[in-house]
Amino acid sequence: MTAPADNKPLLDVRGLTIEIETRRGPAIIVDGINLTVGKGETVGVVGESGCGKSLTMLSLVRLLPNKIKVKGGTAEFAGRDLLKMSKSELRQVRGGKIGFVFQDPMTSLNPVMRIGDQLCEPLIYHRNMSKADARKRAIELLRLVGIPGPEQRITAYPHELSGGMRQRVMIAMGLACDPELLIADEPTTALDVTIQAQIVDLVKDLRKKLNMSVVWITHDLALIAGLVDRVAVLYAGTVVEDAPVGELFARPTHPYTRGLLASIPKLSDEQASRLSSIGGTPPEPGRRPKGCPFAPRCALAESVCHESVPVLESVAGTSGHRVACFVAQRQMKEAA
Amino acid sequence: MTMTPVNLSSTVADDEPPVSLWRDAWHRLLRNKLAVAGLAVVILLAFVAVFGPWLTPYDFLTQDLAARNQAPSLAHLFGTDDLGRDVFSRVVYGTRTAFVVAIVVTTIAVVIGVTLGAMAGYFGGLFDRIVMWFTDMTMSVPNLLLVVVINASLKTPLTAWMEARYQATLNPFYRETIWVDFLLVFGSMALISWPPYARLVRAQVLSIRGRPYVTAARALGLTNRLILIRYIVPNAIGPLIVSVSAGLGTAMVLESAFSFLGVGVNPPTPSWGNMISDGLRVWQHYPHLLAAPAAVLGLATVAFSFLGDGLNDALNPRGSK
Repeated sequence: MTAPADNKPLLDVRGLTIEIETRRGPAIIVDGINLTVGKGETVGVVGESGCGKSLTMLSLVRLLPNKIKVKGGTAEFAGRDLLKMSKSELRQVRGGKIGFVFQDPMTSLNPVMRIGDQLCEPLIYHRNMSKADARKRAIELLRLVGIPGPEQRITAYPHELSGGMRQRVMIAMGLACDPELLIADEPTTALDVTIQAQIVDLVKDLRKKLNMSVVWITHDLALIAGLVDRVAVLYAGTVVEDAPVGELFARPTHPYTRGLLASIPKLSDEQASRLSSIGGTPPEPGRRPKGCPFAPRCALAESVCHESVPVLESVAGTSGHRVACFVAQRQMKEAA
Repeated sequence: MTMTPVNLSSTVADDEPPVSLWRDAWHRLLRNKLAVAGLAVVILLAFVAVFGPWLTPYDFLTQDLAARNQAPSLAHLFGTDDLGRDVFSRVVYGTRTAFVVAIVVTTIAVVIGVTLGAMAGYFGGLFDRIVMWFTDMTMSVPNLLLVVVINASLKTPLTAWMEARYQATLNPFYRETIWVDFLLVFGSMALISWPPYARLVRAQVLSIRGRPYVTAARALGLTNRLILIRYIVPNAIGPLIVSVSAGLGTAMVLESAFSFLGVGVNPPTPSWGNMISDGLRVWQHYPHLLAAPAAVLGLATVAFSFLGDGLNDALNPRGSK
């Protein structure tokens, strides 16, 4: 459940701010995110669409689209700031030290290349392997991610594989060079529920075998409950709550987290009750409220919430549970 | 939808050999009758271009002044011209000229166009603007005028330079003024032919650049060069093949037009263009001198055009049934 004794985290993101250029000038989409991932730790990053989850991760390896720029903050990976690396150093990190798995396996593989060749590419490039060695390793990787008959499948084109199989190939590509960190960006969103569970189990199994850290981006809290060590809840480009997974489910503290948890349907509900949901929509970039970004949708909001922005503070009596909410923090102080 | 029962074990296609996109396209092409006809004519013409000199009954240069301006007969299938040369043999040899010009010019144009277009589309920014500026500039100048100007202004100095080099070095290479012809004809035709390829490829690359598999390739740390060559260009190649097929036909017409204007391949090397040009002067008396090369040129152009259309349909499975 907890990170290994080594205190220095593998990935340490501080105050990361990302802006998008719009016709009405720059607008902030990610507002000073702090996020750490320890060695061997699995962190879930949760939030609804458009809250900046994917952009945060893409910005780490500097793959943001043209009009979106990092405006501030640092992102240290193994002691080096990713945001200040040279292009050639960065290329060594991409694929070599940080592996990516993308959301849509249907479009994330090159349709005109055999999957074996696509798998071999990073091996030949990063590891200077010969073609024959890369091929052997590619077969091993396909076996590792549970693709049956890898010797035959290696010559298949992406369109000959099912969605789940393609996502396994994507994972194999992400793992090809034994990365220290695997970033999975909603890898199960495009898949059937049964396949989703298989992919989650696969990654769970692999991270133990390969002793790597994993960041799993999702909007589905229930899916990752059994997979991750820690969860960071994102809202409108800021981390609003950050806690060990058991702690988060047992004592969700931020009103937004509570709303998310309440909106997971439960089979145990006796009568068919309406699905609970959080009213309203997240603020648009460029129209962020002055105070807490969640205040306009929050049932508990007080005047202070509309005035100033809360910062992450530890929840009393816990280790590693932090929340950014004035109301929750005050309630805790009163209870203490 | 067929109603054959689905064999569940075979849905994963375990033993079937992989069906590539190209093989699919090939099968679709073979179902298109016009395209197959076009392909057949193109193959026939290519065969004639390669083996022509061994197929003809006469040499294309041999003059038989006793048999001038003859109408088509069994001895001379397309008749003879005003120097008594066999028109059939000349048309056959002209096929070789047409193919050499079309292939060389299109190859140069495609290499320039694809390289510039792909880089412009991928990198964008200033490089893109400069390339597009050159493209627009080239396209805005009337083609024929540009070629005539290049030929008229460069031919004399180049020939004179070659002669001077020969006098100085006595290297027989400089004696062959044919190189000047090739350089000028191929060079100027390639110069006006590359912009459409550059535009086509740039547009393709712009749409492919943002696809997830390109981002995925970048996330794997691959270099821009590798991504362009292995991920972007192969995915942009479909429309390019179509365009090249039509372009080969266009290059043949272009060569004929230049020969007609006297800036193309020089006599006595037979080209359909200079044969048409010669025939046009006497067509009222000897129509076969115009009809034979014109008909073959028309046939070749139509064949390439049909083949291009067929390839277009074959490579766009969603475009048509």
